[in-house]
Amino acid sequence: MTVLSSDLPPFRRADGPDKVTGSGRYTADLSVTGMAYAKLCFAKVAHGRIRRLDVTAARELAGVFAVITADDVPDLLYSPVIPDRRLFARDVVRFEGEVLAAVAAVDAETAERAVSLIDVEIEPLPVVNDLEAALKEDSPLVHEDWESYEATGDTPRDRNVATFSSITKGDAASAMDTADVVVSSRYVADGSHAVPIEPRSVLAQWEGDAVTIWTSSQVPFEARAGVCETLQLPTNRVRVIVPHLGGGFGGKCGFHFEAHVAALAKAAKRPAKLVFSREEEFLAPDRRRESMIVELTTGVTNDGEIVARQGRVLIDNGAYVADAAFFPQLAAMHVGGPYRIPAIELEASLVYTNHQPSGSVRAPTAPQACWAVESHTDELADAVGLDPVEFRRRNIVHTGDEGFAGQVYGEIGLDECLERAAASLAASVAEVPLGSHEATGVAVSWWPSFGVPAGANVKMQEDGSVQIITGAQECGTGAVMTLADIAADELGVEPSDIRIVYQDTAVAPTGPGATGSQTLLNHGRAVEAASRQIADQLRELAAAELEAAAGDIVLADGQAGVAGSPGASLAIADLAASAAQADLLLGSASAPVPEYPTVSAVCVGDQGMAAWLAPQFSCHAVRVAVDPDTGVSRVLEVHAAHDSGTILNPIGAHGQVEGGIVMGIGQALTEGTQLGEGLQRNAGLLEYKLQTIADVPTISTQFVEIDTPNAGPRGSKGLAEAPNVATAAAIANAIRGVIGSSVRTLPMTAERVWSTIEEARV
Amino acid sequence: MTSSSEHATSPEKNAPAASVNHVELTVNGVSYPLHLGTDRNLSSVLRGEVGLTGTKEGCDDCECGACMVLLDGQPVNSCSYLAVQAAGRAITTVEGLAGDDLHPLQRNILAAGGVQCGFCTPGMLMSAEALLERTPLPSDEEIRIGLSGNLCRCTGYARIIEAVRATSVELDGVRRSSVTE
Amino acid sequence: MTLTIAHTVDDALTAMAQGARPIAGGTDLVVGHRQGKAPLPAQLVAIDRLTELSRVELASDQIRIGSGVTHADLMIDPIVVGRLTAVADAAALVGSPATRNVGTIGGNIMNGSPAMDTGAPLVVLGAEAVLRTETSERRVSLADLWTGPGTVSAQADELCTGLVISTPTTQHGSAYVRLEYRRAMEIAIVGAAASVSFDGDRITSLRVALTAVAPTIREVKGLDDVVDQPSFVGTGGVIVPEVLSRIGSLASQQATPISDLRASDRYRSHVVGVMARRAVDAAARRAAGEEISVPVNRAIGIGAQR
Repeated sequence: MTVLSSDLPPFRRADGPDKVTGSGRYTADLSVTGMAYAKLCFAKVAHGRIRRLDVTAARELAGVFAVITADDVPDLLYSPVIPDRRLFARDVVRFEGEVLAAVAAVDAETAERAVSLIDVEIEPLPVVNDLEAALKEDSPLVHEDWESYEATGDTPRDRNVATFSSITKGDAASAMDTADVVVSSRYVADGSHAVPIEPRSVLAQWEGDAVTIWTSSQVPFEARAGVCETLQLPTNRVRVIVPHLGGGFGGKCGFHFEAHVAALAKAAKRPAKLVFSREEEFLAPDRRRESMIVELTTGVTNDGEIVARQGRVLIDNGAYVADAAFFPQLAAMHVGGPYRIPAIELEASLVYTNHQPSGSVRAPTAPQACWAVESHTDELADAVGLDPVEFRRRNIVHTGDEGFAGQVYGEIGLDECLERAAASLAASVAEVPLGSHEATGVAVSWWPSFGVPAGANVKMQEDGSVQIITGAQECGTGAVMTLADIAADELGVEPSDIRIVYQDTAVAPTGPGATGSQTLLNHGRAVEAASRQIADQLRELAAAELEAAAGDIVLADGQAGVAGSPGASLAIADLAASAAQADLLLGSASAPVPEYPTVSAVCVGDQGMAAWLAPQFSCHAVRVAVDPDTGVSRVLEVHAAHDSGTILNPIGAHGQVEGGIVMGIGQALTEGTQLGEGLQRNAGLLEYKLQTIADVPTISTQFVEIDTPNAGPRGSKGLAEAPNVATAAAIANAIRGVIGSSVRTLPMTAERVWSTIEEARV
Repeated sequence: MTSSSEHATSPEKNAPAASVNHVELTVNGVSYPLHLGTDRNLSSVLRGEVGLTGTKEGCDDCECGACMVLLDGQPVNSCSYLAVQAAGRAITTVEGLAGDDLHPLQRNILAAGGVQCGFCTPGMLMSAEALLERTPLPSDEEIRIGLSGNLCRCTGYARIIEAVRATSVELDGVRRSSVTE
Repeated sequence: MTLTIAHTVDDALTAMAQGARPIAGGTDLVVGHRQGKAPLPAQLVAIDRLTELSRVELASDQIRIGSGVTHADLMIDPIVVGRLTAVADAAALVGSPATRNVGTIGGNIMNGSPAMDTGAPLVVLGAEAVLRTETSERRVSLADLWTGPGTVSAQADELCTGLVISTPTTQHGSAYVRLEYRRAMEIAIVGAAASVSFDGDRITSLRVALTAVAPTIREVKGLDDVVDQPSFVGTGGVIVPEVLSRIGSLASQQATPISDLRASDRYRSHVVGVMARRAVDAAARRAAGEEISVPVNRAIGIGAQR
C-alpha cells in the first residue's frame, strides 16, 4: 500500500473551480421562491429585566409576515453540559446579543423597520463585567437560578463559577520550597473573535412537517440536534445542508440561529432567510474567544530544572456556557504546558459574566494560555541565566517522558520541533543580523487530537468512479477533499475519479463536523475503513478472474494486478461493471474511537480533557521589530515546526500553518475585544483590526512527520488549530527581548508596548 | 444636464423615499435594463437583480474587499457604491474573469493553494486583476499594497502573493485589457 | 431620493442651488447610510464625471488641484509628488487601492474630519479651497473652512471645485507621517505633516500640522524661533536632534486629543510629537534633495518595505 506523503502530485481542491469563478454558492447566495427576509431583535443591553416586549406595531406593519418571541417556541432550557439558555430571552437578558424577537418581512428594509418598531423596555441590572469581582460573595449573579440547571457529568459549579477544574500531582507547595528560584507572574488576555469573512446566514424552508435548513455552520449535525431539541422535532424531520462555507474558525461551531429561522419560517408560512451584517457577526454569533487571567508561580533549580508550579486561571465564559464547559481543564493543561513538572497544582474557573458567550474559537483557551505560560517560561530562563531555547530543551517532554498531568507519551517530536524552528531562525539571523530594535522569540505549544465517532459511505459505480458520502464538513481547510486521496489510495484509482457528497444531514452518516481539527482524524478513518471494504470486494473479484489469491491482488493505477506477475491484470472499471450485475460495491463504516491514554494526576471537572489522544506539538520562532518611540511592533519572520504526525496533504497543511500564524499575529498585536460596561465597542473591521496582506511576515514551515499509532489514518494527527497556539507567545518573547520587560496584557497593542517601556523607565 | 431619475416627491421629509430609476448596467459585457431605487448599492444589485452572486458582501463599509468589482477597469468596493452611479460604465465581476478556460489568476491561485474557504477569493482576484493591469510586473511590495484592501482569514496570504507573482511571470508582464466591452 | 448626473460644473451648481448634495465616489455617504449613521440626502448630484475637476495644473506661481482628483491620482501625479510631496504621502495612506480610486480630495476636504490624512499636508502647504455657487466664487483658507469635527463653513449650495496652493520655492520639502497599527487599511490615529524651506543651510519657513488630536486639523504654533538659525541644520538637510525634539514637544503640548477606541489621550499626545519630529526630519531631507519615496511610512521606519 502506498503511504501518502509529500512527494505525491499537488493536492487539487475539488471545490476550487466553484470558488474562483464565483459559481459556488454560499448560504447568503441562495434564494427560494416566496422567501421572506429575517431580522433578529437583540437586547442591546448587557444585563436587564424585560419589563415590556410589545411586538404589536411590528406585526401590523405592511409587508411583515411574522414576528416571534419566546412565547412562540417551546419553553425549555438547552445547551450541552449545562443547559442554561433559551432561544429567545424570557424575563432576563444577560448579554447584548441576546435575541428578543425575530421578524420575517417582504424585504430586508421592511424587516429592519419592523425590528425598530418592537417596543422594548428593559430595566437595567448590575453588569457582571470583571472576572475577579464576579467571584466575590457580594457579586450580582448572572444566573439567579444557577442551582436549578441540570448539569451533566463531573461539573462542579458555584454561583458565578459556571464550572471549575483542577489538576494536582505531587505536593507542589513542598516542592516549591526546594527550588532555588521562584518566579510569579500575572497575565491578562482580552477576548477576541473568529471573524470568518463570510457573515453567517440561515435559510429555512418548510414542506409539510419537515424543514430544510441551509446554514453556514461548521457542525451540521450539531445544528440539526439543536433544532430538534429546541423545537421538539424528530431528527428525520430536520434536514441541514451547508452550502459552501466562508470560513468558521470555531465561530460557526455549535448550534446558533437555525431554530430561530426555522420557527420564524413556520410562523411566516414561507421560507425565511437571515443574513448577518458584520456588526451582528461581531456582537451576536454567541461564540468568541474568551478573555482570561493567568497567575503562575514556578520554582526552578539553578540548573534550570522546573520543580514545581502553582497556577490559577480565570476564564470569561460570558452569559451562557455553550460548549465552554471543558475550557477550565483545557486552560489548565495549557498553563502546565508540554513540560515535565514533577509537582503541580492548577485551578481554572469558568466565570459567568454579562458578555457574549465564549466558545470554541480555533484552539480555545490555548493561544492566551500559551502566551502567558511561555512568557513566564522566558522569565524563568532569565532568572536562572539560561538561553530560552536551552531552558526549554531541559524541561520539555520528550519521547517516553511523563507530562505534568501524568500522561506518558509515546514517540513525539517536540524536541525536534524546538531544534528545527530555532535553527531555522538562527540561520536567518546569521544571514541578516538583528537590527537595532529587533529581537527573536521562541515558544512551544501543544494541542490534543479528538477521537470521536464518525461514519462514511463509499460506493464504486459501474464505470469505476467512486462516490464518498460523508458527514464531514468543509470549512475551507480542504480536509474533506483530502478524504478522496485516502479512498483513491485504498482503491487504486485517481483522486479525480472520486466525488464527495458532503454537508447534508439527510444523506450522510453522523459526524462531528469541522470542529476540533478532527476531519481527517475521524472521518479519514471512516473513509479508509469503508474504502477497504470495497477494495476487499475488488480483490475477491479479481482473484477469481486471475486465478490468484485475493491477498496477492494489488490495486493501483486503475488496475487490479497480481503481486509478482506483471502481465496479469484487470481494469478496476471492468470489475466495477461486472459487480454492477451482481454484488454492488458498497462500503459503509463507523470508525472505532481510538483508545484514550490514562493520566496519573488527580483531575477534578476534567470533562475528558486531561488525557490527550495523539497530542500535536509545535514550536514557533520569530523575529520582531519594535518602534521604541511608538510601541508599534512588526513581525518580520516566523519559523514554524509542527509535529502533527504524518502529513497527508502538504499544500493544505502549509495553508493551515500559515493561516494560523497570521491569525496568531493578529491576536498578538491588534485583535482584542474592547468592552465598556459589558458592551462591545469595536464591533467592526476598522476598529477590530485583522492583519492585512501588507503586514504578513516571511513564514517558513517544517513538519516533523512521525507515523503516530492510535491516531488518524496513516499515522496523522489534527492540524487546523495547533498553528494558532504558539505565535502570540513567541512574539511576546521577542518584544520582551527588544524592550527589556514583559507586556502583560494581550493583545500587545502599540500603546501597551509603549506603556510598558514607559513604566520600565520610571 | 441629463437626469437619470424621475423626480419622485418624497412622502416624508425626513425619510426620503428612493425614487425608482431606469438605468442600464453593463456587467461583463452584457447590458441589463433595470428599475432601481436610487439608494441601492451596487453589490446588492449585482447579487439580486443581475443574479451574479460571485461578488460577496462581508462588511458593508469598505473594510474587507469581498465585494470588489472593476468599474472601467478600476477596483471599487461595490457595497459602498451607488448602483445608479455605475450606469454607462463597464462593470466586471468575478464571473467575467474566465473565458472558456480559467483566467491565469484563477488557475494560479488554485495551484498555489491560495484558496481555502473561498469567500474572499472573488474580491482578491478582482484586486489582483486591477493591479496587473496597472502594474504588469509588480514587486512583492506592490502586490501587498495592491491587495491590501482584501482581507483573508484562512490562508495567511503567502500563497495569494505567490499566485499573483506567478501570473505576472506567466503573462510576461504583458498589459492586456480586462474590461469586457 | 433622486440622483442627477452632472456633465458640467454648471449642471452641478444648478442642482446644488436647488438643494442637491454633491456625491463623487460616495464612499462616506453610502457607508454612513448603510451603517444607519445618516440617511442619504434627498437629492444628490453626481460630480464624478466632471473631468474639469479631475486635473492638477501648475501655473507659474500656483498649483491648482481639482476637487475631483482621486487619492490614487494624487499619489502618483508628478506635480503633487514633486512639489507637494506631503499630499502624495497622505493620499497613498488612505484606505485601500479601491477607496483611493473612488475617494476624492474634494470629498475629503468637505467632510471636515479631523482624522483626514490629506488635511494636515494641505494646511502646511497653505492651501485654500475654492468654493463656487451659480453666482459666486470665493477662496477660503482651510483653517476658516473647518469649524469642528465633521463641520465646514461652506454654504449648502457651495461646491468645492478645487484647492489652490502657492507653488513652493526650490529647496522646499514636505512630508506626512502617521501612526499605523498595521501597514494598510488604517485610519489616522495621529499624524503630522511638515513643510520646510531652506535658503542654503538656514530654515526660512517651517510649518507643522497635526492630524486627529483636536476638533480640526491643528497647526503647531511657536515655531518662529526655529527659523533662520543656521546652526539647526546639519549636512544633507538633517535638522539637529535638539530642534526636532523641541518641535515634537511643541506638537505634544498643543495637541488636545480625546481618548477613544484607537488610543488614549496620553498616548496620542506623546505619539503626535514623534510623528511631528519624523515629518519635519523627512521634509527637511527632501528639501535638501534626498530621495525619500512616497509615502514616508513605507520608505523608512517600522512600516518600511523590506
